[in-house]
Amino acid sequence: MIVRIQRGKGERFDDYDIEVNAGMTLLELLFRIQENIDQTLAFRYSCRGAICGSCAILANRRPVLACKTTLSRVTNLKIDDHVTLPSSAKLPDGGILLEPIPKLPVIRDLVVDWEPFFNEYRKLEPVLKNSDHPEKEHLLGKDKSRELEKYTNCILCALCWSACPVVSEVDGYPGPAALAKLFRFYLDPREPKSTKRLSVADNEAGWWACDFYSNCKKVCPKGVPPNVAIGRARKLLEDEEVEK
Amino acid sequence: MGEKDIYRHDVIVIGGGLSGLRAAIEACDCGADVAVVSKVYPLRSHSVAAQGGINAALGNSPEAKNDTWEKHAFDTIRGSVYLADQDAVEVLCRQAPETVLELEHWGTVFSRDHEGKIAQRPFGGADVPRTCYAADRTGHNLMNTLFEQASYRGITFHNEYFVTSLVVDEEICRGCIALNLRSGKVHAFNSSSLILATGGYGMIYDHSTNSLINTGDGMALAINAGAQLKDMEFVQFHPTTLYGSNILISEGARGEGAYLVNSEGDRFMARYAPQSMELAPRDIVARSIMKEIKAGRGFKDGYVHLDLRHLGADIIKERLPGIRQIAMDFAGLDPVEVPIPVQPGQHYSMGGIDVNIDGETGVKGLYAVGECACISVHGANRLGGNSLLDTLVFGRRTGRKACSESNDGHVPILKEVMTREIQRLQDLINNKGEGFAPLMSEIKKTMFDRFGIFRDEADMNEGLRSLNDLGQRYKQVSVKGSGKAFNQSLIRVLELGYMVDTAEAVALSAIERKESRGSHFRTDFPDRSDDLYLKHTIISTDDKLQRSIDFSPVKLGLFPVKGDNYQ
Repeated sequence: MIVRIQRGKGERFDDYDIEVNAGMTLLELLFRIQENIDQTLAFRYSCRGAICGSCAILANRRPVLACKTTLSRVTNLKIDDHVTLPSSAKLPDGGILLEPIPKLPVIRDLVVDWEPFFNEYRKLEPVLKNSDHPEKEHLLGKDKSRELEKYTNCILCALCWSACPVVSEVDGYPGPAALAKLFRFYLDPREPKSTKRLSVADNEAGWWACDFYSNCKKVCPKGVPPNVAIGRARKLLEDEEVEK
Repeated sequence: MGEKDIYRHDVIVIGGGLSGLRAAIEACDCGADVAVVSKVYPLRSHSVAAQGGINAALGNSPEAKNDTWEKHAFDTIRGSVYLADQDAVEVLCRQAPETVLELEHWGTVFSRDHEGKIAQRPFGGADVPRTCYAADRTGHNLMNTLFEQASYRGITFHNEYFVTSLVVDEEICRGCIALNLRSGKVHAFNSSSLILATGGYGMIYDHSTNSLINTGDGMALAINAGAQLKDMEFVQFHPTTLYGSNILISEGARGEGAYLVNSEGDRFMARYAPQSMELAPRDIVARSIMKEIKAGRGFKDGYVHLDLRHLGADIIKERLPGIRQIAMDFAGLDPVEVPIPVQPGQHYSMGGIDVNIDGETGVKGLYAVGECACISVHGANRLGGNSLLDTLVFGRRTGRKACSESNDGHVPILKEVMTREIQRLQDLINNKGEGFAPLMSEIKKTMFDRFGIFRDEADMNEGLRSLNDLGQRYKQVSVKGSGKAFNQSLIRVLELGYMVDTAEAVALSAIERKESRGSHFRTDFPDRSDDLYLKHTIISTDDKLQRSIDFSPVKLGLFPVKGDNYQ
């Protein structure tokens, strides 16, 4: 199979003709190339179990985690199953095209600079702001912990950032992951309501910038729905149920 | 962005997993200027992969109403086969409840019982349900909480800096030298206290649950800087890793009631531990699975079944969603419908850098905590749910101790070592020998085959010869990659060096301990010998840079040593 990989800071593509089997993951494929053909190839990796968020890449123009995506899934993915992003590179016939995720500067090959993504995350101060430290734990209903879990499952891999059209359209947009994280802290009953989480992003470049493409939810490897968080935040602000 | 050649911080923490972040937060709260130096972004650390939970005698479960830290300590010491230092276990278990509550107060969304309290599940080797959890993503949740707390405090993160050596001058640690992966530039870091929190070495073994970044860096840095390694022969093999990829399938699954079943449909643990069954300690369950496979009662390529089906879809989806997802993503099966194929795999290092209960090594200014350290609270076998606890309890203690240190900048030695390191890296790049990949796979195979679940003298001696040979070949290994930014082949060559040093330490200790205890099982010495070996193995480096081995006494005092076996 021909595997075409974007190299350097995007100045060229290299083709590797390599023996594969359909059940292999993209990460295994990348290691096979690095260890056997081309040691200059750079890509990020760590847990290889879809929990550390290191290995987000574009495979045939779709944002995926390399560790949990098999070659057969890349070649068989139907367009409406997933999100396909524009790219100028040509897909090799029957092969696979690998590129760094877009909307972040490329450092080398498939490695991007995460700083813009984490900067937006940090700006929203995602930390539980509570001053009460009771002797025991705060009591929390099962329903509440389940609702929170939907958002705490985020692994900050930046796939949603790369798939979101608004990220490149609206300057200063925090992006889906950061907004979902903000909503997670709004939902947390352990934080006093006076913290006013929702108003932090109550502006044109915040909650209101989202156009509900819902690419974020479609590409999320952990099933987190930032689009739902954003919709709920907007409804709450519209209804003036909160913080006004 | 201007980059300095030399950075200065009061406390430098190498590694951004749970131990490192907890230590950094504590040192920061004590008023120190703290930086975390990590070869990855902190959230990419292996701690995020921890699934099942964290032990604390909260007594929330109705069956655990009378749970106490002493019972937790007894289970831990018994599980360690009496090799754990009992003063350290006391600290671990006494401080467990406040530690779990602290994380709850900081924002971790622990799973709840019907009263809204933190839920607790049974785990191996424990008397009662004592393991607190956030579904089966406990490590991920704790890591996010600590990362949030550390970021909010403004702790400095030097992300994607690979530490190439420690700087020790007149037996005082002055800092470290690190390569900025992004720029390819070498920097010196000066500290009053330096804390190693680099995690384990799973990559020296085939079939490991560990992240690919776990290459034993801290242990190798420490032994080469004059600190000692302790109990390195104790390597935990987790009984249930996904067949093929060896991704962890949490002990939480068995805690919730999953069965281990062989190819004849038997719950075979009845043969080995009729009372504890699937919840016997990990060393026992791992050996039992291997015995089944060796007796021809495994499935074709060497695995058994972990059957969750009788738990029902609701329990599986609520309490074990992560492993269900793993089974679906990485084995293409849904455990609601079919059993999961599992086999034992390397999981954890009980041994590590020899430290006291404040994280101090034998080198002034140098500390270690977490999996890279050995205090020791896990002894010959760690109980599930105790490693997350270890990272937080001793992360805090070590962070506190480390900010009490002060020394001057002592810049001349830093510059000197930095120049030497730049030259060493250049020499590596100029080497013309073979690449790193074959050596890495040979180490993994040697360790798994010769220093695995069952060991004997002849096998291990053969293994040590292979390791020595690999060590010689490493001297000529070449970096075939090029360029300054993200020269990953240079990083992997440096990691291979750490792997060689760590593997050698495991091998030397394993050969020296001529008995069977916990995870260290010798077919040529199948019995435990308290008379000869109720002591820690210690590895040091002598003046000629050769490794030497010695012993140190175990600290007893809480519970008398017993010869009991698990039923």
